[in-house]
Amino acid sequence: MLGEFEYVRAKTIKGGYSLLAKAGGEAAVLAGGTDLLVNIRAGKASPRLLVDMKGVKSLDRLTFSPKTGALIGASVPLNTIVENRGIRTRYPGLAEAAWTVGSYQIRNRATIAGNLCNASPAADTAPPLLVLDAILEVASPRGEREVPVRSLFVDSKKTSLSFDEVVTAIRIPPVPATTRTAFLKRQRVKGHDLAILNVAGRYDPATGDLQIAIGSCAKTPVLVPPLGEPVPPDAPIPELARRLEALAIQVVHPISDLRATAEYRRALLPVFIRRLLEALLQQSDHREAIR
Amino acid sequence: MTLHPIRLTVNGKSEEASVPAAMTLLEFLRERLYLTGAKEGCGAGECGACTVLLDGLPVTACLVLAVEGDGREVRTVEGEAKATGLSVLQRAFIEEGAIQCGFCTPGMIMSARGLLERNSNPTDAEIVEAIAGNLCRCTGYEAIVAAIRRAAKEERDRR
Repeated sequence: MLGEFEYVRAKTIKGGYSLLAKAGGEAAVLAGGTDLLVNIRAGKASPRLLVDMKGVKSLDRLTFSPKTGALIGASVPLNTIVENRGIRTRYPGLAEAAWTVGSYQIRNRATIAGNLCNASPAADTAPPLLVLDAILEVASPRGEREVPVRSLFVDSKKTSLSFDEVVTAIRIPPVPATTRTAFLKRQRVKGHDLAILNVAGRYDPATGDLQIAIGSCAKTPVLVPPLGEPVPPDAPIPELARRLEALAIQVVHPISDLRATAEYRRALLPVFIRRLLEALLQQSDHREAIR
Repeated sequence: MTLHPIRLTVNGKSEEASVPAAMTLLEFLRERLYLTGAKEGCGAGECGACTVLLDGLPVTACLVLAVEGDGREVRTVEGEAKATGLSVLQRAFIEEGAIQCGFCTPGMIMSARGLLERNSNPTDAEIVEAIAGNLCRCTGYEAIVAAIRRAAKEERDRR
C-alpha cells in the first residue's frame, strides 16, 4: 500500500475543483501518477484525497490545426503527444522533449499537465512550452482563467496555481510554417533519469525571431532574455552563442546535486547553447533521433 | 478506509473486487489474484519489472492504482502461455538465452508484447527503445534484443 488517502474519480471539471476546494489544500490532482505516487510512497507528499480527473472525457483530447495551434487536454499522455503528426511537424522541439521523459511505460501514463504542475526545475516539456508561449487553461470555483507557462513557475516544485485550481488543457498558439523549434537534453541514462541540463529554442528565419529557454539550471525552468534584434540565418554562431550565454547567466543559478556539479552544468551551458543555435539556424541534428 | 468496487478484465477473465484507494494495481494482481509474474523491483517506475499491458499499452503497475484499473483490460505475463504451451515470445527468450535470474523477464516479455502489437517488424533500435524502461542486471541485453527480433520474425512468418 502506498499510504493513506482517499480516492475520487471526478466525472466533471466542476466536480473536480469542488472536491479540491472542499479539501482545503489537502487534496491533489491525480493525472498520470508517475510523480505523485512516487512522492507519496517516499513520504514527500501526503495528500488526504486524490482527485482523478481522467474520468472527464473532454480532458482526453488533443487537437491540432496549423491555423489555431494545438490544444492538449490535461489527461493526454506524453506518448500521444510524441506520436501526433501535427505536433511533430509544427512543434518538433516539444515532441522531442516529451519523448525524452522517462521510459515508454512512463510516457503511457505521464501527462504534460502533470509534468508542468509538478514544477520540477528539470521538467522536460517546460523549456519548449516557454519558448512557444504556451498557455494553461485553468478552472476553479471562481471561474476559468488562462495562465501563461511563463508565469507558472514560482520556485522549485511550486507553481502560481491555487490549491483549488484544475488545469484542463495546454494551448499552444499557432506558429508560421517557417518557425523552427529544437530541444536538447543531457542525461546520464536514457529511460531512467532526469536532465542534468535541458534547453529549447524557437527561431524563425523569415523574421529573425529567436528565443531560448533553459531547464535544470535554476530553481525553475527559465527563459533567456531576448537579444533585442533579429538574428539572420547566416549569423556567426560563436559570437551569437557568447552573447546568449552572457544573457543566460543573468537568469541561471546552477546547483550541485546527485546528477552533476554546479561547475559541470555551468560548463555545459555554452556547449548546449551553441548546439541549440546550430540546430535552429543551420538545422544540424544534435538530437537523439525520434524513432 | 473506503473500499472501492472495481470490475476489470485480467488476461481475458472478468474480475470483481473491492480495493482500498492506496492499493496499487501491482499489489492487486499479486496479492488478490495471485498473479505473481509481475514483480516489484524499485516501486518507483524505474526498473520495469512490474510492466503489464493496460488496454494494450505497457505501463508500470507499481504506479497505477488498482482503482484506476476499473473498467480496463489488463494483461500480464500469465496471459502469454496458452493450453498448447508457451508463446512464441516466451520460447524465443528461452532459445536465445535471454533469461538468467528471471526477475526482469515478465516485465521484458510484456514490454516486448506491447511493441510487437504496435509494430510487427521492429528495428533493433525500436526494440532497444521499447525496453529502455526495463532493467536487466544479468544478460547485458543483447540476448533479449535477439529474442524479441526472433519472436517478431516467427510471429510474422506464422501469419
